[in-house]
Amino acid sequence: MTALFPTQEIGSLAKPRWQLAAQRGDPLDAAARAEFESWNARCRFADPADPTVRALLEGRASEVGGAAARDLGALFALRYLEAAGLDRVYDGEARRIEMYEYPIRQMKGFEFLGHVRSFDNKYYLKAAANGEVRLDRPYHLEEFDFVRAHARAEPKLPITGPYTLADWSYNEYYLARQAGWKGREARRRAQREFVVEIARRAIRPTLAALIDRGCRVIQIDEPAAGTHPDEAAIVAEGFNAATEGLSANFSMHICFSDYASLLPALLEAKGCRQWTWEFANRDGPDHDGYAVLKLLKEYGDDREIGLGVLDVHRDELETPERVAERIGRAAKHLGDPSRIWVNPDCGLRTRSLEVAWKKLGAMVEGARLARARSEGRTA
Amino acid sequence: MEVRTALTGPFPRSEALVAATRDLDRGRTTAEAVAALYDAAESEVARLEEQLGLDVRSGGYLDWADLFRPFSESWRGFTVGPVTRCFEPNTFSGHPTPPPPRDGVGGATAGRPPRPARAAPAPAKVTLPGPFTFAGLLDNRSGETREALTHRLGRLLSEEVRELGRAGYRTFQFQEPLLVTEAPEGPRAEAALAAYRPIAEAAAGATTVLWTFFGDAAAVAPLLARFPVDVVGIDLSETDPADVPGPIGRGGLGLGCIDPRTTLAEDPEAVARIARELGTRRPSGSLWLGAGAPLDLLPPGPAARKLELLPRARRLLASGGGPA
Repeated sequence: MTALFPTQEIGSLAKPRWQLAAQRGDPLDAAARAEFESWNARCRFADPADPTVRALLEGRASEVGGAAARDLGALFALRYLEAAGLDRVYDGEARRIEMYEYPIRQMKGFEFLGHVRSFDNKYYLKAAANGEVRLDRPYHLEEFDFVRAHARAEPKLPITGPYTLADWSYNEYYLARQAGWKGREARRRAQREFVVEIARRAIRPTLAALIDRGCRVIQIDEPAAGTHPDEAAIVAEGFNAATEGLSANFSMHICFSDYASLLPALLEAKGCRQWTWEFANRDGPDHDGYAVLKLLKEYGDDREIGLGVLDVHRDELETPERVAERIGRAAKHLGDPSRIWVNPDCGLRTRSLEVAWKKLGAMVEGARLARARSEGRTA
Repeated sequence: MEVRTALTGPFPRSEALVAATRDLDRGRTTAEAVAALYDAAESEVARLEEQLGLDVRSGGYLDWADLFRPFSESWRGFTVGPVTRCFEPNTFSGHPTPPPPRDGVGGATAGRPPRPARAAPAPAKVTLPGPFTFAGLLDNRSGETREALTHRLGRLLSEEVRELGRAGYRTFQFQEPLLVTEAPEGPRAEAALAAYRPIAEAAAGATTVLWTFFGDAAAVAPLLARFPVDVVGIDLSETDPADVPGPIGRGGLGLGCIDPRTTLAEDPEAVARIARELGTRRPSGSLWLGAGAPLDLLPPGPAARKLELLPRARRLLASGGGPA
């Protein structure tokens, strides 16, 4: 990629109501049908003559089947992101429900114990490691095959990282092997062992299988990294163990964290080519949310930055001018505009498809503005 | 040695409550039906507390969205912003934002403790956010310094304490993880101390507990010793007792001896031994045993099983048994 400020997505999009209805086998109501037709007019993801599409639109969703509904949902998200003008795309995680339970279910050595609250009335099913971690079978393969077969832009696959999978689990097996009172140091040792075992035994073989199928750009999601800054070295070690000896363009996505607190320990993730972080969420008139980038320059870290320019927690739309200004400011902090990729802060599934569409449009246009300015052209 | 036992923070929601609250969000059930479930579940928690012989009751705080929400939803001038990830695995809090005007009104919590606590406030403990943690976790768009905001929140919380006191509550616990994860110094530390002075005045005659977790209390032990509270609690999963240089707090000591980040059971004899070791550095006051961090990091079954540690450790300490 030679042009400045290429654009990419981060992961999830909201699922359209027609997809959810189709997965359940429910006929589309008027709103779901209108939604389908509206997006098809904009993104051209479905051929009305296709038997699956006809069944869906003619009220025969029960004939479609869950797998075909998910395929259509994935194709929609792919075309949605491509139509928005992004350079790197995926399927909006159309087949996924969450980012923890599914990967853990592909492994052995875990037992699900019950739901634990994340916030409000949101929960996740939490597992305990009760034996050595082993991979049952590599995952996300069919999902990637579908994207690869249909993508017109470059695909980038998101996968939950080893530190997050460990941190969101109960680490019983490795903790029980620590002698004596299970205090801070014992927990830290057990956590390190757990993370590296997940990385080596489960994530790395999965990444290898994906790479064998042609996956070249992989985003390793580590949202848990920010909750324990004192374990940033373990995050890096897990990343290295997962990617060691593999040839792909790896990035690490961390969001809603105090990045300064993770540095410089995180920089030991040597296999990482791009830090994909959230910034817009913390950027305001009185606070430069991008200032932490100066630290990377101070530490001499010259990797790419996936620059979050869209706040995924607010409907308020960023303007292209705002996006361009953020990119320009980040480029100044880094001292090198060529290292910047432009993306939302995090997955956009927190916003409606309509709002996300407008935000992505502003992002693409803002990147174009910033590119023109950086190259000395009039936008 | 007077040993008191209690829950720390909210008790986990049952699978039935998980399903009902999800249904509520999806419009598949009514708020009234979920409220009835909350009542039943809180009664269950109260029965568990009674069975375990816990001295101070809570009722579980099952319907609190998070520690801050009752305040950010009720105090004039506050709004609830987007949720923000903080501390432990995958937990978030509603990010409160305090713009002007700055006059809070009391009464955010008087009607909010769980029903079993409202029915019998005297033996119940009210759990509140500590002003230092509250100030540190909210999105401060007030134009005030963090120190001034901490102080203001101390005054606002003191109004709550006063009102709760009038309703009959006699024990107030302030959750202060940020005191140990951030380890404030200088003016920021002084602001934290100052924030507790109006609280101490409002709580005169009652018991005040400052509970720290998710961080090493040994590093801030000298600061903790200056807080005008009756009990200071520490998280034994994060604090190595051998590192504690002197007394923690100037009164009672709270030991967070249950680690809710694991389902593995703690050894009551080890707890008794640690309690004795730290007890020699405790100038006066009672010894409180509880969880090192909020129990809702666990599902309800493992949480209930782990709580059995508390009466067992207390029996050991009372009998003088267990390793010295």
